[in-house]
Amino acid sequence: MTAPEMTIPDLEINRRLTILPMQEFYTSGHRTCQGCESALVMRYMAKVAGPRTLVTGTTGCMYVANTSYNSTPWALPWAHTQLGSAGSSAVGTAAALKALMRKGKIPDERINVIAFCSDGGGGDMGLATLSAALQDTRYNLLILLYDNESYANTDIQASGMTPWGAVTAFTPSGSQMRITHHRWKKNVPALLMAGHPTGRYFANASSGFGMDLMEKVRTALDVGGPTFVQTHDPCPKGWDFDPRMSHELAILAVECGITVLWDCLEGELRYQGLTRQQVDGAVKRRPVADYLRRQGRFAHFADDDIDFFQARIDEMWEDWILPGVLRIKQTPFGPRPESGRSVPEPTEGGNHG
Amino acid sequence: MSAGAVDVTYRGVFQKNLAGVITKELVKAARREDKFGGTVARYGDSPERNGIPAKQFAVIASDMASLQVEMTKYEPDNVVVVAVMDDTLAKGIESWAWYGVRPINLNLAPGGTLLVISRQDPAALLKWIPRRPQPWTLAILPGEPSFGGLWVYNDDGTDYRTMGAIARVTDGLVSLESLIAQAAGTRDGGKREQQLREGYEAVQLHQVAAGEGAEDTYVPVQMPDWTQMREGLVVPAVEVGRTNELFMKYTTRTARPLIKFDACVKCQICYTVCPDECFIPTPEGHYDVNYDHCCGCGICAQSCPVSGCIEMVNEAVFDGNEPLHGVYERDPAAYEELRAEKLAKAGGPVPHYGIY
Amino acid sequence: MTTMETRAAGTAAAAAGSEEIITGCDAVAQALRLADVDVLAGYPIRPYDSVMTAVSKMIANGQMDAEFIVAESEHSQFEIGKHASLVGARAFIGSSGVGWMYGMEALVVTSSLRLPVIALVGNRALDDPGAFGVEHNDALMVRDTGWLLYWVESAQEALDTTLLAYRVAEDKRVMLPCALSMDGAFLTHSQHIVQVPGPAPVAEFLPPYDLGDRRFHPDNPVSIAPQFNEDWVMEARRQADAAMRRARGVIAEATADFRRVFGRGPDDPFVDTYRMEDAEYALIGMGTVGLVGKVAVDRMRAAGRRVGFVRVKWFRPFPRPELRALLRGVKGVGIVDRDYSFGSNAHGGVLYTEVAAALYPEPTRPVIVPFIAGLGGREVSVENIEEMTDITEELTARGELDASCQWIGVRGPASDPRYDVERGAR
Repeated sequence: MTAPEMTIPDLEINRRLTILPMQEFYTSGHRTCQGCESALVMRYMAKVAGPRTLVTGTTGCMYVANTSYNSTPWALPWAHTQLGSAGSSAVGTAAALKALMRKGKIPDERINVIAFCSDGGGGDMGLATLSAALQDTRYNLLILLYDNESYANTDIQASGMTPWGAVTAFTPSGSQMRITHHRWKKNVPALLMAGHPTGRYFANASSGFGMDLMEKVRTALDVGGPTFVQTHDPCPKGWDFDPRMSHELAILAVECGITVLWDCLEGELRYQGLTRQQVDGAVKRRPVADYLRRQGRFAHFADDDIDFFQARIDEMWEDWILPGVLRIKQTPFGPRPESGRSVPEPTEGGNHG
Repeated sequence: MSAGAVDVTYRGVFQKNLAGVITKELVKAARREDKFGGTVARYGDSPERNGIPAKQFAVIASDMASLQVEMTKYEPDNVVVVAVMDDTLAKGIESWAWYGVRPINLNLAPGGTLLVISRQDPAALLKWIPRRPQPWTLAILPGEPSFGGLWVYNDDGTDYRTMGAIARVTDGLVSLESLIAQAAGTRDGGKREQQLREGYEAVQLHQVAAGEGAEDTYVPVQMPDWTQMREGLVVPAVEVGRTNELFMKYTTRTARPLIKFDACVKCQICYTVCPDECFIPTPEGHYDVNYDHCCGCGICAQSCPVSGCIEMVNEAVFDGNEPLHGVYERDPAAYEELRAEKLAKAGGPVPHYGIY
Repeated sequence: MTTMETRAAGTAAAAAGSEEIITGCDAVAQALRLADVDVLAGYPIRPYDSVMTAVSKMIANGQMDAEFIVAESEHSQFEIGKHASLVGARAFIGSSGVGWMYGMEALVVTSSLRLPVIALVGNRALDDPGAFGVEHNDALMVRDTGWLLYWVESAQEALDTTLLAYRVAEDKRVMLPCALSMDGAFLTHSQHIVQVPGPAPVAEFLPPYDLGDRRFHPDNPVSIAPQFNEDWVMEARRQADAAMRRARGVIAEATADFRRVFGRGPDDPFVDTYRMEDAEYALIGMGTVGLVGKVAVDRMRAAGRRVGFVRVKWFRPFPRPELRALLRGVKGVGIVDRDYSFGSNAHGGVLYTEVAAALYPEPTRPVIVPFIAGLGGREVSVENIEEMTDITEELTARGELDASCQWIGVRGPASDPRYDVERGAR
C-alpha cells in the first residue's frame, strides 16, 4: 500500500487561520474518544463565542464525556440541560437575562446564549423545543446541533439522523436482515429553516471545515435573534474507523456531496467552499462509496446498497432546485423580482391594540 | 471457599470485544471444573471511549456465596491476574470516569501476576510499573496489541493465546485442559486449541521482588464529604489559559505525534484540528505538544500538509510527558538526533495513509 | 409585642392594599406581581392555567414587568423556569394533572439543581379518562424528589403562601422548589374575598432572589450539574435531604415574620387545626376538604361529639412533630385522602400512609381509619365528613387496628365479595 498524494491546503484558508482567536474556552482534559470531532466543534464554538457567553448542553457525549464531576473542561459558564431541552434551556436563559437587564437587576450587556444538543437530543426528542425557540424573536440565542449520527453516549443507537442502513446497537445487520435501519437521515437545519420564517440564521456546517464552522457560529451570534447551526462530526467509535481519519472523513462527506455546506441569513441561501464549487460545477462530487467503504458501520453494505445510497444523493444534487436543502423539484414560479424586502415587526405603540 | 478474579485491562472500544471473549470463555471453562463464575464489565467504563483504558473481569469462585459477594462490586477483589492487552497501558491507566492516573498493578493481589502482551523486555516495562510491597510476577506474552472496532472483531488469536497464558500463570484457577475442552465446542476448535497451547507455552514469567520497579507516586483522590461539597452540583470552571488538570488523558495514547520542527511551515493546521487543544504556539510560530493531554488520535499527523513533519511514533519508546520544543530551542541538531533515535527505536512511524 | 398589637401594626403596613373578589388563580397572580417575578412560562391545561391568563394580561397592561413565555409543552415550560432561575431570575411555572406529569423530568432536575422555582399545581385527576376534577395525585407524584409541597384551602391562603413560598424556597438554607397545590374548580375557578396587600409590606417581607456563587453568568464561571458517578451521588442527595430538614425551621421563621409584616396568617405554620383542644376523634385532610371539614366539626360539636379537624398544609416537609403532638390522646383518627395509591398499605391513600407512619413511634396510638373521597372532583359534603367520623368512632369502639380503606361517596356497596380484591375472588 502506498501513501496517496496529499492535498496542499488552500492558501486563502491559511491566511484566515492566522486571525484565529488563540484563547481556549473549552480546554484540554475532556473525556472524549480519540479523534472526537464533536469535541472539536465544542472547541470551535467556544473559541469564536468568547468569554461573555453562557452555554447549556443536553445530555449526550458532550455532557458525560466532558463534564464528569468534579471537573470540567469548560472555561465558559456551562450548565447541563435535559436531553430534550436545548431550545427551552436557551429560551429560559435568554429570557432571564433580558428580564434582569431590563429591570436593572444585572448590568445591560451583550451575553451570548448558546444551547448545544446532539442529533438525538435536538433532531429527535427536542425538536419541538428547537422549533419553539426559533420562533421567539424576542431573544438572542443560538442552538448548535452537533450531529454525530447516533445516540453515541449510550453506545451507539440509531437516531433520526443516522444515515440509512448504518449498523447501530439497535439496528444491527443480521443473518436474515442485512439492513435494519430504514429511515433516511432527516435534514434538520432545512426543516427548521423552512418552518420558521422569522428565524434569522440557519446553517449547516462540518467539523472538517473549521473556519467555515466558526464563521457560521460568529454570524449566528452577531446577527442576533434565534439562530441555528448544525455541524456534521465524524464519530470514530460509532462509525467504526481509525480515529486519525476523523477530520478527513468529515471533509470526505462534503466531497461526496453527502454533507452540504450552506447557510441562510435572513432568507438568503448561500453555499460555501467545496459545496459551492460543486454547485457551480467546478468540482465533481466523489462517489459515496469512497465515504461509506471507510466505515465499519457500512461494512455490511452490498453493492446494491451503495448504489441506492448514491442514487439518493444524486437525486438530491441533480433534481432538487436547492441541492441538499429542500426536496423541491419543481415550482409554479419563476424568480421573485421584488426580493430583498424586509418586514420589521411593529413596535410598541403601533396601531395594533 | 474463595473467589479469584482475572482483570482484563484494555483499550476502550478497540479491545472491548476481545476482553469480553476472554472473560466469558474463562468463566465457561471454569464451569467445566464445577466452579462458579461470572463476568463484570466495570460500569464506570460504559460507554467506552476509543482508546481510554477500561476493565472487564472474570470472577471464578469455589462456591456461590463467594461469587455473590464479588458480583456486587464495580471491581472484584482478589485479582490474581491483571491481563494487559496493550503494553503502553503499563504507563498507568486513567478511566474516563475517575480522577487521576492509577498504576497498572494497583489492584493486583499480593503474589499475583501482571500479564502483558508486549514485545518489550521486563526491565523496560518495570521502568513504568510502580513497585509493590510484596513480590509479584510479571508475565510477558510476546505479541502486538490486537485492535478491533465497535462492530468489527479482530479474530487474530490474541483472545485464545491470552487465555492460554492465563491458565499458565494462575496455577489452576482455570486449567488449560478445561479451556481446550471449552474451545473444542466452538467454531474453529482446532485452531483455538493451537492458540491456547501457543499462549501457554510462549508466556515468559519474571519474578519481581518487593520494592522493585518504578517509584510509586500514586496518591488516591481525597473525596470531600457532603458538608464539604459545594451545593447545587457546581464545580468551578477552568481558568482561561489553564486546562482541566483533573483529567490528563495521556494514558489513552498508544502513539504520540513527534514533530520535525525544521520542516514545519507554521500553517497552524495541527493547532486548528486538534480536538484536545494540545498544540501550544511558541513565539517563533511552531506548535509544541502538550503530551499530558494528548490522546494520540493522530488527526494532526493526518492533517499536516508537510510530508514527514508530524509523525505518530509508538508511545512505548518514550518516557514521561515533557514537551519537546525546549530541546529543539536549545539545540536543533540534538533534537533531530533525539527524533531519529526514537524513530529508529520504534521501527519508524506508525504507518498512516491520507485518503486523498 | 402582643398578638393583637402585631396584627394592628401589620394591618397598617398592608393598608395600601385592597379587597378583591377573585379566584385562587388570580390571587396567585397578584402575589406574582407583588413578588416582582422575572420569568414565567405557561402551557395550557385546566384548571391551573388561568393564573397564566391573569399574569399575561397584567404584563400586557404594564402592571407587571416580566418575561412571559408560552412554551410548547410542560417539559419545556418547566425547563424554561429552571434555567431562568439558574440565571438569577425569580421564576414561576405551573400545571395540572397529566401536564404536571409530562414535565416530570424537568421537575426532578429543578429540585436536584436546588433551584427555588415556585409552581402552582391546580390539582386535577390524571388521565385516562380525561377528567378535570380535583385529585391530589398529580402534585403528590413529586413527593419524594425534593419539592416543598403545600396545599391551600382558600384564595387568600393561595396569595399569602405564594409570597411565603418564595421567601422559604429562596432562603440560602433551603434552596428548593415549591409547589402550591390548589384544588381544581373550588379554588381555581371560584371567586373569593381576598385582601391584596400593597407593595411595601411585600418588599419588607421578601428579599431579592440571590443565587450567590451558583449564578449562571459570565462573571461567575462554573460548570453546573456535571455527570456524577457512584462516588458522589449519595453526598449530593444528602445535601438535598439536609436542605429539606432545614426547611422546617425556615418555614417557622418566615411564617412568624409574615404575621408580623402583614398582620395576618396562621399561628401554626405546618398544620391548620380546628377544635382539636379536647378532641377524642379527629379527621385529617388537605385542601378544600378543610372548608367542609370544619363546618362538619361545628355541627358534630353542637351535637356534643368531641371531634376536631386537622388540615395538613405543608406536606413536604411532612409535619410529623405537629401531628404526633396533636393526636396524642385522640382515640380515633380518620384520614381523608383525595388521592389513591392502589395496592398500598391498607389500600389507603398517600396521606394515610404518611400519617400512620408518623404516629408509629407514639407509645399509645389511636385507631387510624383510611378513607378515599372526592376523587375526580366529586364533592365532599359535610355529610360525607360526618359519615367518616361515624365509621371512625365505630371502628375505634371495636378497637379495630387493622381497618382497610373505605371509599366514601362512591356508588355501590362498601364491599362486595365478588369484587373483594384481597381475597382475589370475583
